[in-house]
Amino acid sequence: MKKTAIYQRKRPDSPRWLNKWIQSLPWFFGFVLAVFGCLVIFVVNATTGRIHPGNAWGLGYGIGATVALVAVLLYTVRRRTMKLRPPGRAWTYLQVHVYGGGIFLLLMLMHTGFRIPSGIHTWWLWLISLWVVGSGVLGIVIQKWIPTVLSAGLAVEVHYDRVPELIEHIRTRSEKIVASADERLREFYESRVAPSLVAPEPRLMYFIDITGGIHARIKPFEYLRALLPASDQESLDELKELFNTKLEIDAHYTLQRVLRTWLILHVPISMVLVVLLFIHIFSVLYY
Amino acid sequence: MESGSTTDHSVTMIKRKKLFEDRWSSFGSHAGLTGLSEMLSPAELREIDIFKEYDDSFLQTISPDVSIAQWKADVVLFEEGSFLDLAFYVLDGEVGVAIKMHEESLNAIPTFDAQRTVYASDPRSFQVPQEGVAATILQTRMTARETSKDPQITFLASMDFNLPLGSTIVLKKGDLFGEIGALNGWPQSATAHTTSACKLVQIRVPALREMKKASGAFKEKIDQIYRERTLFEQLKTSPVFRGSGDAFLESLTEKVELLSFSPGDVITKQGDRVDALYMVRSGFLKIFERLGEADVAVNYLSKGMTIGEVELLLPDIDTWLSSTTSVGYSELVRIERDTFHDIIREHPLVEKRLWDSAVAQMKESGFTRKNLDKSELIEFSLQKGLVQGNSILVIDLDVCTRCDDCVRGCADTHGGRPRFVREGDTFDHFLIARSCYHCDDPVCLVGCPTGAIGRAGVGEVVAIDDGLCIGCGTCATKCPYDAIVMHDTGDTWGDDALPERLRGRPQKVASKCDLCYTSDDGPACVNNCPHSCAFRIGSIQDFQSLLSTEKAEA
Ligand code: SF4
Repeated sequence: MKKTAIYQRKRPDSPRWLNKWIQSLPWFFGFVLAVFGCLVIFVVNATTGRIHPGNAWGLGYGIGATVALVAVLLYTVRRRTMKLRPPGRAWTYLQVHVYGGGIFLLLMLMHTGFRIPSGIHTWWLWLISLWVVGSGVLGIVIQKWIPTVLSAGLAVEVHYDRVPELIEHIRTRSEKIVASADERLREFYESRVAPSLVAPEPRLMYFIDITGGIHARIKPFEYLRALLPASDQESLDELKELFNTKLEIDAHYTLQRVLRTWLILHVPISMVLVVLLFIHIFSVLYY
Repeated sequence: MESGSTTDHSVTMIKRKKLFEDRWSSFGSHAGLTGLSEMLSPAELREIDIFKEYDDSFLQTISPDVSIAQWKADVVLFEEGSFLDLAFYVLDGEVGVAIKMHEESLNAIPTFDAQRTVYASDPRSFQVPQEGVAATILQTRMTARETSKDPQITFLASMDFNLPLGSTIVLKKGDLFGEIGALNGWPQSATAHTTSACKLVQIRVPALREMKKASGAFKEKIDQIYRERTLFEQLKTSPVFRGSGDAFLESLTEKVELLSFSPGDVITKQGDRVDALYMVRSGFLKIFERLGEADVAVNYLSKGMTIGEVELLLPDIDTWLSSTTSVGYSELVRIERDTFHDIIREHPLVEKRLWDSAVAQMKESGFTRKNLDKSELIEFSLQKGLVQGNSILVIDLDVCTRCDDCVRGCADTHGGRPRFVREGDTFDHFLIARSCYHCDDPVCLVGCPTGAIGRAGVGEVVAIDDGLCIGCGTCATKCPYDAIVMHDTGDTWGDDALPERLRGRPQKVASKCDLCYTSDDGPACVNNCPHSCAFRIGSIQDFQSLLSTEKAEA
């Protein structure tokens, strides 16, 4: 009962972008140091001996890359074994995952002497390693970029899984509002609003400007305002508010879907990488 | 106390049976209570001394909250630490009141020490806060714990009875008890049991409040009881008066005035003549100033804090610099201006503390005046109840990837049922998740018929014992922040269920965040967030300093 609830505090003296991209300076400098160390070793290797995956240097790089990959995988293992209350914070595992992934790639490239391997199996291994690390980097970019866009540009916060339920709720409320409203408001609702209240509508537009599309789409409410009697102004406001919320939900849906789906590019192929690596190690040891 | 679907039914039933033999339950038939009146008419009520002075229409209004209960001899009415939303008035018979608090529980480390809830990049760097609300709360708690080391006297910040450990007093016809805890939302500090067959009038809090408001004599009576049973100990442990000597404090209890306020009541008005120093006994006050055309919240006060020292200490100031209103129901101690000056003349230590407090208040108000965001935060915190919280789950939406590992981690730690929802109000780019705030005065504890929800120890986390929960939903309805969720277990109550009316009905269970207090790793939500953007704040000062850090980013 003594642990503190920790927040990775932002450094007040650092620019916002730096805080965003590098949560922890010690981890970052540790990574830079490790990369530098690896490169120094490689230069020593290149100047004093031969660069070959099969010699002591090359095998050393290969073993290092494997160890790094195992460390990287611990994050996945931790996520899947939360019930067992694994030791340490998930954040630490993620640091190992991200920086370890970079080290893995570097050691793998050193193992192949920064050349494309000629064997079919090793060629695939090499390519998949690049893909996995590349998709990981893409994931980092997505995970840094999208939350900022969502929190800065939208007023509502939405739980992805509840999107259909929320839209249904908006539709029911909107229908209640227009049921007793002026004919023109009802027509407007039927033609301009109701079609959007059926399901979430992802749009590419939200990637370019999270708010721009929304403002343009609620403008017609203002054109209608002049045509409505005073008694229906409040209904119009309410309907406009609901529609605005729906559009914000769409924006959330569009971007949060990317936050979830990029993993398809990363996770299954990582599993293939592990299998291929295992086969590679086995074949090296066997033959 | 691990929740989940693994509750052992036989153990549950044994526990529940024992509980029902022991204590009063609003669910009716059990061993101790032999009769409960129907709604009483004004005429019937007026036959009882305590209601004599009220007119018919008033009695008609409060009658739904009043009942007469008949009790067997030797049954426990309530226990130390329990939260009640009613007071008892003895009509007939005798009630014994005793304090038998265990030493260990007094010395227990409160879960809400700041170390547990403060955010910091390095937990080892934690420092006990020296200023602000956090400091006051902490100091009050520390003092309470220090005082409790005295082997003879047990002490809790909320005392109904100031008794030596192990002794019993007997209450007879015409005595009122339980009202201090009920009115202030404090736990009862003593155990009450009937020593003979008893007839008791049970008055719920809404009726008590109305009665206090409507009758000066009743208010005077309640205040007198409070002075005798509680005030001395409260002053003794207040940040301003602690260590000031018993004789002085005893005389002070006679001089102060006790005041009660309803939501929105004005306590001080900017520009009016300063009449007194006010100290908060319970509830929250909002302090605001007129800036241009608008009223701007500059600060708030909670239990143990004072207002008026700035105006009373600074020469040449004769009027209130700010206005103060009561946020919800609040109870205050009023120390009249002349008494205040007598005190600081004779007690330099008290004067020094008041100066410290005045300087801190001026700094805080000055800061808010210049940083209107803070005013917004104060308004938001008072409105949303954050000021009550000891451990509020906050998510930085600028970083959160909506992966839900926090929720999954919570569910995996609690038998598959998450104890919070990743939804709620937002302030700036922070989401205040719908999770228990672990309030100072948890209203959810009031009214649980089986005592399933309670503090795990003195000053500790509020948790629900699944084995005792009958799924009535009282706690969930009471929680103002929707932090308690009722889960359907998928089962129905068996033939041996107690109370009997549950039998054959769908079995529900209440669940809420327990801060994973049985685990050494701290709250699972925080621990399992891979981006370190889910964290817990212990006070709005934490939140404020967090926001300032963000603003200060180069
Ligand atoms: S675990 Fe962290 S990043 Fe994931 S949803 Fe929860 S708060 Fe957001």
